[in-house]
Amino acid sequence: MTDQSTAPGQGTDGTAGEGFLSIRGLTKRYAGFTAVDNFDLEVPKGELVAFLGPSGCGKTTSLRMIAGLVPATAGRIVVGGQDLTTVETHRRDMGLVFQSYALFPHMSIARNVAFGLEMRKVPKDEIARRVKEAIALVHLTGKEEHKPAQLSGGQQQRVALARALVIRPSILLLDEPLSNLDAKLRDEMRNEIRDIQKSLGITAIFVTHDQGEALTMCDKVVVMNEGRLEQVGTPVDLYERPKTAFVASFVGRTNRLKAVAKDGTAEFAGQRVLAPAGLSGPVQVMIRPHRIALSPSTGGEGVTGTIARAIFSGDILQYDVDVGGQIVSVELATRGGETVLAPGTQVSLSWRPQDIFVYGAAA
Amino acid sequence: MSAATALAPALPPRRSRLRLIVALLAPIALINAIGFLAPVLNLARMSFYEVEPTGAMREVYTLATWAKMVTDSFYAELIVNSVSVSLGITLLTLVCSYPIALYLHRSTGTWKTILLVLVISPLLTSAVVRTYGWIAILSDSGLVNNALGALGLPPQRMMFNLTGVTIGLTEILMPYMILALLAGFGRLDPRIEEAASTLGAPPFTIFRRIILPLTLPGIALGCLLCFVLAVSSFITPKLLGGGRVFLLATEIYDQAIVTLNWPLASTLSILVLVIFGGALVLYTRALRAIL
Repeated sequence: MTDQSTAPGQGTDGTAGEGFLSIRGLTKRYAGFTAVDNFDLEVPKGELVAFLGPSGCGKTTSLRMIAGLVPATAGRIVVGGQDLTTVETHRRDMGLVFQSYALFPHMSIARNVAFGLEMRKVPKDEIARRVKEAIALVHLTGKEEHKPAQLSGGQQQRVALARALVIRPSILLLDEPLSNLDAKLRDEMRNEIRDIQKSLGITAIFVTHDQGEALTMCDKVVVMNEGRLEQVGTPVDLYERPKTAFVASFVGRTNRLKAVAKDGTAEFAGQRVLAPAGLSGPVQVMIRPHRIALSPSTGGEGVTGTIARAIFSGDILQYDVDVGGQIVSVELATRGGETVLAPGTQVSLSWRPQDIFVYGAAA
Repeated sequence: MSAATALAPALPPRRSRLRLIVALLAPIALINAIGFLAPVLNLARMSFYEVEPTGAMREVYTLATWAKMVTDSFYAELIVNSVSVSLGITLLTLVCSYPIALYLHRSTGTWKTILLVLVISPLLTSAVVRTYGWIAILSDSGLVNNALGALGLPPQRMMFNLTGVTIGLTEILMPYMILALLAGFGRLDPRIEEAASTLGAPPFTIFRRIILPLTLPGIALGCLLCFVLAVSSFITPKLLGGGRVFLLATEIYDQAIVTLNWPLASTLSILVLVIFGGALVLYTRALRAIL
């Protein structure tokens, strides 16, 4: 990394933001559609950031632009004060872990891991030492001379991780690394990646379509939709204070209900809820199923509805309640001893004002 | 076990299955025995027959023809010449075909189909016709020399020598090489190349350390195929060589048809077979080393 001072494309105006990785106005346009639109992001050193969104939202394209595998149409990518926007991939010093592992099938595990170090002309004995360490880090000691095809999917992904980490990249990029693994292995790898990332203090970006992965693993989550950045925040921010209807419905489970707003208040099933100022006409009201209180007695506070369906799944008891023609799902944590209310029972629902979100009815 | 029995419930194990395999293989084995093995054995036997000074063949066994192979340096030269010319043509074909095959492998959709048809289309024409095409291009008053003349450059001799044979055979073998290479490119994956790139490998290093090793099976297959075709090719060397390029196949033709020395032709044919066997052994070894 001593070549940083002579590397091409170094920013001369020194406009590095607060972040170690600073992305400004990053845009990718293809003929006829925009894959990524004006993407801004600051990532502090040592953070694990998730790019979360449905397929086709531009998260992988963004990652590939950071790696230099896809040229950006506009915008800048700055790492540690150095503008990398036009630097070729092989000079960017980033470690990338692919969904499909992308190991070199003709090389042993040790040779795979050593590849990046060989490219950096690291002395032989140092390569041997660092390869050994990296393989130990991902618990594959003893498999050095195996070929990739002889390992399981989880083991192959570990090799890919070791191969990306051994070069001590400035940024570790993970492109849906867990998607090809089965559920049990996924949980295991999830913790392992998180532990390794924390212990090395490496800045990392984790692309995923799985909100569970994004929320549980990452310091910060970037929610993307149709090439646009919807919201950037901590997992708690996104869950408790979703800025858009898309975030509210994509992160965690939620009820999407139709209502009509007038003069800053929306009315839903006879109950008034606060709406953002200036919003009028049809709106979407969102509330998470487990933030709703349900009581069998009618009258009093809250809205009244009829149980349409009761689903008992062990730790959760879910009621689908018909409120004025709209179905509201309610989830109750079971404590034991409750009676499951029969469909047709009249119930009243209530919630705290801060648990309800109102958005313009765009969709 | 249970799956196998479920698939073939009517078959009692082992012996009847063996009988079925033999029964299924018998027709093709028979055809090969009559159409290939018997003539080759006959050829081998004929190579030991005696040739009278008049050229007539007598059914008396002798080692004279085989001894000639060892003592007469012409035949040693012929073999070395044939093998080295064929190897050279194979290498040239590989160099010309590899970029095309790689480009074809990476193209997609309709464009790929069009290119593939273009690659295969020469095979729809016979090698004779294509060789005549090359004569029209390479002869003293052909396309190339006319163009050179128009530019005021001295004419080049490109026919009735090794140059003509090499150019003609290379072009004729290219479709085979490209198809064989494509068949062996299955392990190439753009993600693997991208991985190498993120690890710091510049484009040429990616080619040398990733693409080339991954395509070695295709290279081995293509080279085996083209070498065998080059050694046994007859029409193109005959027409473009004009009797001045001595190769095994043309010599066998001359001995069998012109000189009527069948024992000599038989001996050379057996030698060609031995060379093919050697190439096959080499290919198998190479493949084992690659994979």
